[in-house]
Amino acid sequence: MSKLLEVKGLHADLRLPAGALHAVRNVSFSMDQSETLSLVGESGCGKSMTALAIMDLLPPRGIRWADKLVFEDQDLLTIDASTMAGIRGGRMAMIFQEPMTSLDPCYTIGNQLEEAILEHQNISAGQARERAVYLLGKVGITAAASRLKQYPHQLSGGLRQRVMIAMGLMCSPGLIIADEPTTALDVTIQAQILALLASIQQEFKMGLLLITHDLGVVARMTDRLAVMYCGQVVETGDVRQVFDQPLHPYTRGLMACIPVPGKTRPGQKLGSIPGIVPTPIGDLSGCSFRNRCYAAGPQCAKEDVSLREISAGRAYRCLLSPEACAVETEGNWK
Amino acid sequence: MTELALQTLDVAKTYLVSGGAFRNRRQLKAVNGVSLNVAKGAVLGLVGESGCGKTTMAKLILGLETLTAGEIFIDGQAISKMTAKGIARRVQPVFQDPYSSLNPRKSIASIISLPLRALKVGNRDRWNRKVDDIMDLVGLPTRLKHNYPNQLSGGQRQRVAVARALIMHPDVVLCDEPTSALDVSVQAQILNLLIELRQELNLTYVLISHDLAVVEHIASTVAVMYLGRIVEQAGTRELFKRPRHPYTQALLTSVLTPEPSLGLPETHLGLEYPNPIDPPSGCTFHPRCPKANELCSNQPPQPRIEADRMVECHHPESI
Repeated sequence: MSKLLEVKGLHADLRLPAGALHAVRNVSFSMDQSETLSLVGESGCGKSMTALAIMDLLPPRGIRWADKLVFEDQDLLTIDASTMAGIRGGRMAMIFQEPMTSLDPCYTIGNQLEEAILEHQNISAGQARERAVYLLGKVGITAAASRLKQYPHQLSGGLRQRVMIAMGLMCSPGLIIADEPTTALDVTIQAQILALLASIQQEFKMGLLLITHDLGVVARMTDRLAVMYCGQVVETGDVRQVFDQPLHPYTRGLMACIPVPGKTRPGQKLGSIPGIVPTPIGDLSGCSFRNRCYAAGPQCAKEDVSLREISAGRAYRCLLSPEACAVETEGNWK
Repeated sequence: MTELALQTLDVAKTYLVSGGAFRNRRQLKAVNGVSLNVAKGAVLGLVGESGCGKTTMAKLILGLETLTAGEIFIDGQAISKMTAKGIARRVQPVFQDPYSSLNPRKSIASIISLPLRALKVGNRDRWNRKVDDIMDLVGLPTRLKHNYPNQLSGGQRQRVAVARALIMHPDVVLCDEPTSALDVSVQAQILNLLIELRQELNLTYVLISHDLAVVEHIASTVAVMYLGRIVEQAGTRELFKRPRHPYTQALLTSVLTPEPSLGLPETHLGLEYPNPIDPPSGCTFHPRCPKANELCSNQPPQPRIEADRMVECHHPESI
């Protein structure tokens, strides 16, 4: 079976007055049908820009280029803008972070849901309404038919996020890109929305590209993950492998930073990564993490570090050998 | 008996909200009879979903809202008899978002020294020295004194907010989601700072957060709030080990710890948080509770106090 999405050597630059900001640098990954992949990283690491670059939705001063960008056997690099507009929202849907701001307050829920499908498919308004009611029911909204007449402000945050998911599903997409879908929600609602996304994904056989900074969400939700730093993928692999034995010092640092109930001792000092995420402007050479890394040596500044594959689907971007990464003790991130 | 830094007795705050045109205004009980004791040097974690009244509680403790009923004592003194400045001397806040809680047009030194100037403590020389000392304490290089907030990173800004809160040596520091706007690696820096400062200066914190992992990490006692009431209160370790209220149990199971083998939790909480204008009858949690029976829908439960912990439920888990 062919891949759902194949990204090879994707770059995205933002042309700023201060120089080109290299938001995405040589990112490659591929997704199988109905697979879940997470892009993880801190703000500014390029995870959202990667998604926007794939969908050709970069801001006006952004440009993208890639060696290969294929979605469902269509080359996204060569198709024209109107074909791309048909794919976007049709076969490839996006769920944004803030359900408060991404629904239009001036239109009813029904109006917005129906528009999502009428834009892409040649069906009647009645059929569109039927589909909207069916999907609102699917995402667990009771009395769906009467909800269609409501405006976004009449719904709670959790319900709005459900509406966003239903809207993404209107055209039965092959891939859903969810950018921090639960960050604005309460923990209890977050667990429900994620469970809902997972069950719908299985039922409709969709791929899910999940963009998040929350390692808890990644661990519970996904099959594979790619950790991003400064526009690059620094580590990728199966979720269990990466959580059991993180290799890249940055991944190890992230894991040491979060308090885990039952594991970290209350009141104990947490690990922390010194410094801040650098802005990738201008000429970047060497390892971009070297200024914050405990293991950095002179070699790290000299050469660009390439992604080293150690087994199928498992790779990391560091000069240290896997063994040297693994012997690192907890004390390194104090 | 241990000295109490903060005590609230049956505190209530009722807002009047418009019921619509030609209708009477209706009561919204944001906080409905909350009693809390926080010992000196302790950390109270206040958790609950949005809309449960955590932030109203914070405003009441800061003296930014007037009490409808009950009383708050800070260091043994009733808050209703204090002036706004008197309260500000004793309680200081650290807010969630350091991007909006710092005035962008003031320099860092002037932001940090504002409490001293507003309360007219000491003179200009002393302010300068105190600003230097406190910046040193929270780990900000003093060369940033004359910079402006937009030149600082998120973590540095939150350090400024902490410095501003501490410069008056308050009895109680009220942290309202102090780390939720920050990146993971920076969050750890700020949590470490808060823990260190507490030990060094013997501070008392009230920590409002929806991140239960953070609360478990630094709080000594935890109070769980639901629709304006505390439904369970206990020492942190006991509460996390053996939650007694079904709501606390649901909250704890919804925490997504980074353990890939566990999968997504099932919370049985149902869809919606109830509308606080129309709270359910009896126990307000009964529509979402798996254990609810007829008693729960008719009669509000009374607080049960056993072995240092309080729970408000008809069918609590036994200790």
